Order: sequence, then structure tokens, then C-alpha cells
Amino acid sequence: MTTADGLAAPPRGVRPADHLSVGRSRRRRADNLRGWLYCAPFLLAFGLFLIWPTFYGLWMSFTGTSLAGTNTQFVGLDNWTEALGDPQVWSSLVNTAWFTLLSTIPLVLVAMFLAVLVNIGLPGQWFWRLSFFMPFLLASTVVSQFWNWMYNPQLGLINTFLGWFGITGPAWLQDPNTAMIAVVITTVWWTIGFNFLLYLAALQNIPDQLYEAASLDGAGGWRKFLSITLPQLAPTTVLVLVLQMLASLKVFDQIYQMTGGGPGGTTRPVLLYIYEVGFTGYRLGYASAISYIFFFMIIIVSIAYMVIASRRSVKA
Amino acid sequence: MMHDSSPAGTRGSRSAPPDGRPARDPGGGTFLGRRALMQGAGALGALGAVGALSSCAGSSARAADDIAFWHLLSGPDGVTMGEMLDGYMATDGAASVTQTVLAWGAPYYTKLAMASAGGRAPDLAVMHAARVPGYAPGGLLDEWDLDLLGEFGIRQEDFPELIWEKMVVDGKLTAIALDSHPFVLYYNTEIAEAAGVLGDDGLILPTDNPEDFRALALELGGKAPSGYGLSFGYLGDGSNQWRMFSTYYTQLGGTIELPVGGKMVYQEELVVETAEWILSLIDGEVGNPGHDGGTAISEFATGGSGAFYGGVWESGNYKSQGVPFDMTMVPGVFGEPAAYADSHAFVLPHQMSPDPERRRNVHAVVAELLKNSISWAAAGHIPAYSPVVEDPAYAELVPQSHYADAVDHLVYDPPAWFSGSGSDFHTYFGNDMQNVWARRVDPLTGWNDFVARINALLLKPTPM
Amino acid sequence: MSAANPTTVTLTPVVPRAAVTARTASSKRRRGPAPARIAAFVILAVLATAWLVPVLWAVLTSFKTEAEAAAMPVTIVPDGGFTVAAYVKVLSEGLVPRWAWNSFITSAAVTLITVTISALAGYALSRLRFAGRTMLITLIVASIMIPGQILIVPLFHLMLNLNMVDTYWGIILPQVVAAPMVFILKKFFDQIPFELEEAALMDGASRFRILRSIVLPLSKPILGAVSIFVFIGAWNNFLWPFIVVNDSNLMTLPTGLQTVISAYGIQYAQNMAQAVLAALPLIIVFMFFQRQIIKGIATTGIAGT
Repeated sequence: MTTADGLAAPPRGVRPADHLSVGRSRRRRADNLRGWLYCAPFLLAFGLFLIWPTFYGLWMSFTGTSLAGTNTQFVGLDNWTEALGDPQVWSSLVNTAWFTLLSTIPLVLVAMFLAVLVNIGLPGQWFWRLSFFMPFLLASTVVSQFWNWMYNPQLGLINTFLGWFGITGPAWLQDPNTAMIAVVITTVWWTIGFNFLLYLAALQNIPDQLYEAASLDGAGGWRKFLSITLPQLAPTTVLVLVLQMLASLKVFDQIYQMTGGGPGGTTRPVLLYIYEVGFTGYRLGYASAISYIFFFMIIIVSIAYMVIASRRSVKA
Repeated sequence: MMHDSSPAGTRGSRSAPPDGRPARDPGGGTFLGRRALMQGAGALGALGAVGALSSCAGSSARAADDIAFWHLLSGPDGVTMGEMLDGYMATDGAASVTQTVLAWGAPYYTKLAMASAGGRAPDLAVMHAARVPGYAPGGLLDEWDLDLLGEFGIRQEDFPELIWEKMVVDGKLTAIALDSHPFVLYYNTEIAEAAGVLGDDGLILPTDNPEDFRALALELGGKAPSGYGLSFGYLGDGSNQWRMFSTYYTQLGGTIELPVGGKMVYQEELVVETAEWILSLIDGEVGNPGHDGGTAISEFATGGSGAFYGGVWESGNYKSQGVPFDMTMVPGVFGEPAAYADSHAFVLPHQMSPDPERRRNVHAVVAELLKNSISWAAAGHIPAYSPVVEDPAYAELVPQSHYADAVDHLVYDPPAWFSGSGSDFHTYFGNDMQNVWARRVDPLTGWNDFVARINALLLKPTPM
Repeated sequence: MSAANPTTVTLTPVVPRAAVTARTASSKRRRGPAPARIAAFVILAVLATAWLVPVLWAVLTSFKTEAEAAAMPVTIVPDGGFTVAAYVKVLSEGLVPRWAWNSFITSAAVTLITVTISALAGYALSRLRFAGRTMLITLIVASIMIPGQILIVPLFHLMLNLNMVDTYWGIILPQVVAAPMVFILKKFFDQIPFELEEAALMDGASRFRILRSIVLPLSKPILGAVSIFVFIGAWNNFLWPFIVVNDSNLMTLPTGLQTVISAYGIQYAQNMAQAVLAALPLIIVFMFFQRQIIKGIATTGIAGT
């Protein structure tokens, strides 16, 4: 049985099984059972750990459930009205959006820039990939520890470096003016490798002929970039943009680890507020309501992407 | 790339599965059921293999003389606790205690609550006593056995009354206090001497009214390199703002109640008076108007200012910095002195099925630590266990013995599920009152913002 | 939350081709004029160095004594030379080896279970025509929209009720639900020509046997890619293990490093030594399997990040 046998799939109509009308219903029955059995282990986990919590969380948002398991009574829309009127919910949503904006832009543009540079084909490919991609493999805690140390006001490398030029650097993570920027820089450093890879792959898939033709027309490097590379990268850019937005909206790790949401709540994203309300403040029900408000935001972004993507594929 | 890695030639075929994909059934339906079942069982078997691993890790699997102990004491406190535990473990028949240190404040309390809710909590933990009343009713803490403690020589009468009250919640002995750590006044003895405000006994002159106290602070400031008599750090530190406020508000006779379902009870005119008094201490003349905790500490530690408001736990830091200092209760300028305080207390986080033998060992550990808490006093805390404080050895500790009478004037947080050290109550107080201290809003505006948030919390059913 | 937090992206259209491998682009077209190439090289070199500095600085610190790590002014190379004292201390006294073991066990279990149940389900959805199949596919695809992070509250509550808080099981199980992986595998199986199985079916082989001896061997690349992605995700996952584990003996490397502090205050060299130790396993694996990892992440990452 070599793979050459599979060179061309037979047309649908002549599939042997379709001729075997005898025993078809028995086969169907068996397949019914087998299909569900094969899916059963996954479905069990899927149902228990994804679907059930999704609906159970919604239910919890209508109760006063606490961490200690008391107060499970129904409270109607109380949690929801409280959440919508809670200034900290709004400020954490604003922080989340702000972080998403600040991080997504460089994570798309810088990733593209790096990929274009690496794709020129300079020597040292292995080294470039290692440098830009490796941080992506690190756990958030490791990244945060590295950068907390970089940002240390007195002992950190950044302020030491600035000091060589006579600049007194700020207390990056403790200063409300710089804390968010500092977290964003760390995030770009940490996760750019992934977008970089996607861009690199997309660049390598651009047919050489396009560039050759452009060269014949006398187009320069910059002109080729604008008229060939950028348009060819457009689908990847849409994908990277949306993936990045969805990932940035869900930020928790590095902010919890680096600033704890501070100073004064200026970097606290909504997931951190959910954590604080639910686990630090024992109010699981209220935390659930905030979770769902956030969920709707994510769904809106997702749907927006799907609309864009489907419009694109219709055009294509 | 998925496409490339698939077997050769498939690229050309349709990727969508055609309807009516043949599915042959050579073995017949009856066999298949069994086969499929076995396949499923195989997958479950893989799960089971992992399951075997998980059973060996729960707390109940440990030996009775292996005690898991959580606390939030780091720095000098952590060192002292480690030494005290080493001391205990060196005794005959001692259990082995493994300490886990988590970051102070919310991270610690969050983890402790989650562990207790999960029923696999550590055997022993430290909590702030003021947090216990809000925490215990949810069933997250187990009760101490006073009889068992008695066997190890620990009795109710060994604790000061104000502290014992904090140890009992709803009639149950829930916490065993190790210490009380009040908010006190530190003063630089060299500056004080130069300013001529030391008495014959070498202690700072007593003051019992606001005018005298201010005059004294100005005297100190006159001799202090920074020009400030007092250091108080408050920026970004809700807890420290609350300690200061609570101290003077209580001196003025103010009280606060936090009835669940009701509204916060307080005396408005006393609130304003307290706030204005504090503002007069950080007016740029007596004290720096814009310090955070760290700068205030370093101002005093480097000998820059005459006096410093802070918790007793800073004393270890100042000792190692070599600044000449003494400590006293915050003088009662409005009447009786008051010392805002909290206590480190031992609690038994809830376990679903505690091992009686291990529980017994835990009681023994705590008894031993209490009896040796003279070492704990080295870090500045006042031991809660009276026999230690009454011992002549304690009277020789300086400056510890100079503020030991604070135990008769302790003021804890008003009980509520959201109050206590490092709680939301402190955070909210800091968020709203910081604007008052920074002179952005008038005292009553800031206070009313704070009260509104607390009232919103009170309207919620207590989650515990 | 890696495998537990799928996103909405559909899997077929934009999956990058194998191009992201070590196949160098050196033979490629856009060889600009030499000055431009030199400029590009310099920019890249500067950026790559900047990218490596935080890691190098951490490594450097980890080989200093505590006193030198905290010395002012900051020195790059300590006067007293380098020392491994911080590593010795961390490895002998801390819980790092224990956490590494926990990370390994739980990540391996997550990978094993995820790949097993996803392959079974993916095969069924690809090959078996059973009632409800279309509905299942729709459900699984739709579920990709649910961000796992918002489920921490109900999931924790569920774990309380299942008595799985502070157990390995509690860490592992919620991470094995990886709808995108099911979908990726289904798509892959769809592309394996059916004729290969047909003959075996004719010969009387069971479905399971076919899956095991024909389909899975042909799927090694994709299984490898999925495994790598799931393993790395589980190894680095922070939020869920952080929520479900409180017992320091059961923590994974990322959660332990974050949660447990030294009783003796902040110790910079030891902190960095811990972080470097925690980073090391994946970096070493990456050095050896750069191609496969890059491939695996590019293939599956789109669906799984």
C-alpha cells in the first residue's frame, strides 16, 4: 500500500461502499455507535470542562455564590447591575483596551519589520530566529522575573544604562506614567516571535515571479515592498491582527506578576479584576457577571473578524 | 504545512469529506461495540495512569509529624520565624515543620482562602487577627482545642483581654495570637536630645494635648537635617493611612461599626477633626507633605527626621541601619492614648478530614512557639502570650519594653468580611483619602467617597 | 492558557506552508544593493542583541553573589568573579526540582490525553458518518470562541465540587479540552486518501486497527506538531495552575516561582537562578528541535494561541 495509490481520489460516485447497499443500515447503526464512542472521551472532557462551566458560570452570575460555598441563592440581576455601575469594572475594561491597543500595534508592525529583514536572506538565519523567537517559549513568570530585574529602579540594567547618559530613569513599574508602557515593552519582547514566524512563512510563500516581473518593470526595493509584499501579506496581517487582539484582551499573567495591577489600579486588566473580586474578595457570583460582560466583548471582536474574513473569501 | 506533511498526492483531492464516506463494518455490529468499548477503555486507562500520580500528593498522605505551615512573614520576621521553628524542631519528639512563605497581603489571603475552600489546606497558617472575624464564619477555619492547648500549658488567662476577644469568633476559639503589632512613634534619640525634648529617664517628654505635641515636633524639626520633625509615608499605602487615621480617631473617641445590610456608623465631626489634625502633621512644616512609605522610612533611617509614624515591625530595619532611635506609644494628645494594631495569629485552615495526631502536633508546635516568643519580640512585635511579656527578660529589651503598655490600648479594625490588614477596607480608604492628604479634596468629600464604597459592600450579603 | 483557550480562527485557509523551516532564504530574490544589505544586517544585529540582553543580564546576575547582585553602582562583571552559589542554594533548598517534576508530569499527561482523545474524536469526525456528526462539528467549532480565561471562576467552583483543588488531576483535566486540535486532526485525516483504509477494511481489519496502524503512522508529522504545541502550552501555562493549586508542593514551575517567596527577603541572584533554571528545559529542547518546534507552532499555533 504505497502512497502513490492515493494520487487521485476516486470520484465520489464510484466509491465502493456506495455500491454495497446491502447491510447499509447495519453499518449506519454501527457507525453511529462507534462515532459517538470515539468521540466520547473528548466529549466527556469537553462537556465537563468547557460547556458546563460556560453555562454554570452564567448561572453563577445570577447568584451570590461565595468562595466558601455559602450564599448560593438566586439574586437576579443584582450582580449585573452592580457590575455595570462599578467604576472599577469600567476602568479595568479601559485598561484592557488600552493595553490591547498599545501592544497590538508594535506586535504587528515590528513583527512584520523583523520578518522582512530576516527574509532578505542575510547570513545568520539560525541566530535571528533564535533571538526573536526564543522568548515566546518562556513561561510568563520567567519573563516577568527577567523584566522586573531589568526595570529595577536602582539595580536594573535599564536605569543603569540610562545613567551612563546622565538620565535618571523612572521607577518603571511603580510609576503610573510608565507602568503600562513597561508592561507593553515586556509583552512585545515576549510574544513577538509568534507573529514573526507567521510573517516569515507568509513572506516565503510570495512567488518569486512577482518580484522578477516587477524588477523587469524597473521597480525599486521600496516600490516592490509597497506594491507586492504588503498586499501579499494582507491576509496574514488580518490574521495576526485579530489573533493579537484576542490574545492581548486576555492579558493577565505578566501584569499580575509585574505590577499586580498597580500602581493604583492603572494597569489592572479585566481578568485581574475578575480574579480579585472572585478569589481575593470571595465573591464568585459577582466575578462571574464581570466575566460574561468581558465574554461578550471578545465575541464581538471574534464576530467582527469572521465577517471580515468571510467577506475576504467571498471576494477571493 | 499541514498539507505538505500529508501523504503524497492528496493535495489534489478534495479536502472536504464527501458525503456518504464509506464506512465498512467487517466485524459486524456486535463485535464493534465491544471493540470500541475496549478502545475507549484504553484511553481511560491512560487517564488512570496519571491518576495514580495524583493520589500521592494530597496533604492527608503526609505523616502525622510532617506539618505544613504557611505564613506571610518575610524579611527579618521570616528569619526570626525560621529560627523559632528550628528551635522547636530541635526539641525531643518534635514534628517536622515545613514553612511556605507567600507574599504579604492579598496574594497570601487569596491562596489561603482558596486552599481552605478546597479542603486540602496546610495544617497551620498565620493570619492577621483582624481578618479572622470576616473569614471564619464561612467555614474556612477549624476550631482550636483549648483543652489540648492546656495540656501543652497554654490557658486563656495567658492572653491580654483585648487580644483574647479577637481570638474568639462566634464563641469559638478560632485564632491563637502570637503577638500584637501596634502603630507607634519612633524618635531619633540624638535629634531629640539636641532638641531638648528628652526627659531625665532618657525618654521623650510626654505630651497630652495637640499644641504641645506640635511644639515638640517643631523642636525636633529644628534639629533634624531634613527640617522635618515627623515622617509619615502614606502615598499609595492605604493600610498606613488607615493606621494613622484609626489611631487619632480613636483617641478622639470615635468609633466605627460595619453592620452587614446597614450603613457604616461613624462620627462625622470626629472624622473631620482627625483628618485636619493629620493634615496639620504633613503640612510641609512639621512633616513632608508627599511621602510614600519607602521615602519616609529612608528619611528616618538615614537620620534625616526627628520622628516617624510606623508599625513596630520597622524596628529591625532601623536597628540594622544603625540609626539611634527609641519608640513610644503614639502620645494621647486628645485623651487616652490609642494604638492601632493587628495581631499575627495562628489558625487551622479548614481540612476535610484532619488527622487527629497531626492536629495534636500542631497544637504542640503553637504552644512551643508562644512560650518562646521572646525571640519574636526581637522583631519588635509585642508577644501576645503574657508570661513572656511579664518575664524580667522582656523588661530588659529596649526599645520593646518602652511601648509594651500598648497592649492595654489596642485598637483593631472594625470587624467585617472586608476589613483587616491588607484588606479592601484599607485599599479603599487609601484610594479615597489619599486625595485628602494630597489636599486635592476636602476631608469630608474624600471620606464620603470612601463611606459610599463601604456602604455598597455592606449592602452585599457577606460572602462568608 | 494554551490548549484550554482556543480562539475563533478557522483552521484551513491561512495555515502557513512548511516554508518556515530552516530552509534559508539566502538564495532568494530580494538581494538588494550591498549598502542596503549591510544596513539591514546592522539593524538586525542591534535588534537581536537587544532581544537577548534581558536573558543575558539574568544569567549574568544568577552567577553573582547576592551582595554583588545588589551592589550599587551596578557592575556588569563582578569584582569577585562568578559563582554558582545561587544555583547550589536554589537546587538544594528550594522547591525548584519538585516544581520541575510537577511541570513535567502534568504537561506530559496533558499532552498524552489531549492527543489521544483529540485523535480519536478527529478520526471519528473525519471518517465515520454517524448521526449528530455535523452538529458535533458545529458545536466544537463554535466552542473555539469561548475564551478559557473567563471560565476560571466556574471551573474553580467545579473543581471544588469534584474535590480536585490541589491535585494533579485538577491541573491536568481542564487543559485537555482542545477543540482546535480536534479540528486540525480532523482536517488532516480528511486528506489521507481513503483507499489506504479501504483495502484494510476489505481485509477485515477493525476501525481501531486501521486508525492505529495506517492513519496514525501517516499522521506522525501532525501528531508531533500538536504534541509539541500542547506540551509547550501546558508547560508554560500560568493562570489555571495558579488558580487550582495552592499547595506549594504541587505547584508547577511558573506558578511556584511566582507564588512562593523566600523567607529571607528578596534575593536577586537566587531569583534569577530560579528563573534561568525554569527557562532552561524549553530552551535546550528548542536548540535541538528548532525546526520541528517552529513548524509545530506555526501549524497549530494559529488555532491554539
